[in-house]
Amino acid sequence: MSSDVNRSEPFGGVKPAGFVSPKTVALYGILTALTAAITYASYTPFSPTKGYFNLGDSMVFFSALTLGWRAGSVCGGIGSAAADILLGSGIYAPITLVAKGGEGFLSGVIGRTKNGTTWRIVAGICVGGSFMILTYFFGELIVLDVGLGKALAEVPINIGQVVLGGIIGALLSYYVRRSYPSLTAS
Amino acid sequence: MPGFVDLYTEADTFLHRMDPRVKILAVILLSLLAFVLSGLYSLLVLLAFIFLLLFLARATLSRTLFALKFVLRFMVLIIILWPIFDPSGTPVLASFGPVKITEPAVWRGVTSAARVGCLATVWYILMFTTSQRDLVRALVKMGVRFDFGLALAISLRFLPTFGALIDSIKDAQRARGLELAKGGPLRRSRNYVAVLVPTIVSALRTADSLSLALQSRAYGARADRTYLRDLRMRSSDGLVLGILIAIFVLPILAKYMLNIDI
Repeated sequence: MSSDVNRSEPFGGVKPAGFVSPKTVALYGILTALTAAITYASYTPFSPTKGYFNLGDSMVFFSALTLGWRAGSVCGGIGSAAADILLGSGIYAPITLVAKGGEGFLSGVIGRTKNGTTWRIVAGICVGGSFMILTYFFGELIVLDVGLGKALAEVPINIGQVVLGGIIGALLSYYVRRSYPSLTAS
Repeated sequence: MPGFVDLYTEADTFLHRMDPRVKILAVILLSLLAFVLSGLYSLLVLLAFIFLLLFLARATLSRTLFALKFVLRFMVLIIILWPIFDPSGTPVLASFGPVKITEPAVWRGVTSAARVGCLATVWYILMFTTSQRDLVRALVKMGVRFDFGLALAISLRFLPTFGALIDSIKDAQRARGLELAKGGPLRRSRNYVAVLVPTIVSALRTADSLSLALQSRAYGARADRTYLRDLRMRSSDGLVLGILIAIFVLPILAKYMLNIDI
């Protein structure tokens, strides 16, 4: 878990009065920006009828699996919602905040353990991903009231997004931990 | 990749000068109003009102179109798909096998599309007229913890930086022979890992030096921090707030107390 106090680091070890440590603030701010930027950069509209595809989910899973549920929910939720606003689909932003935030939370709680076994990571991605898909479905159906047809049309795309995002997020978590070990040294 | 759009445009309209807290409240209240209203005409009036505000905020045509680009496609889809999945109502307009298109269903689809249009465009009243700094300042004033506000400000600040970073890493990897625009989604995404790993590592380095910078500027040395610039509600802000609440409350009164169907 990305704790507020990080003792093994030369800096960031001092917790200032009443606030979270500067390391946490910087890391969360940067990861949020990164989530939004990657969602934005990998945005590919792929069919004439509807929808787009992006790798935002892989960043949510990456944050959750590498740094824990707190980073997963905060950076995933806020970063993805910011990307929604920037991409011109601001209507989704509140739903995205809940859907991706919950996705990051669940996959972080379930998927991140001390020496993460593969099946726990898979379970975390599956549970988090299902939460995201269900939130979007019911959010569109009940909150936005767009009708069953539109809400159903979104489900297969979201499933594809979770599968790809999960695979890539887990890969990223593995690669980045290997090339930047001090990240999880705490 | 298209360059990052900073939604904020510099101008000197009353919306730009307004206290950002009032604008945040306006967006929330107008969004809630879109859920309260259920008639097509009242929703269209609300939509027209939102567009009037966007116009008064000197949103240029290209910016307004940007806000609409995604929403229009979305609205068209709702109008098309709604009647197909909703066979209720009597005047059947057309039927193809099991699918019946009925007149009330068509109107319900249009109404829902109008509501979605309101909800999608109301954001831009705030986003076009409020600088990021004011936005974060307003959130902190409204009770968001200062450190969360700072993290949000950092992320907004670094968004365009990372956009450019991703672009240059993409170019660098392409020069090494990586193909990003080839193959199906799976293959394409797999290739994207070669872009994402350097991006993330570079971003994490930025985070490290940023935390040093924060530390060296005595971030969080005192819990009772002071501000150089403060937000103050002026009388015109109070007036707008009053009008806003009236716009929000009157339709609700009409709907639930007087039972007028709007």
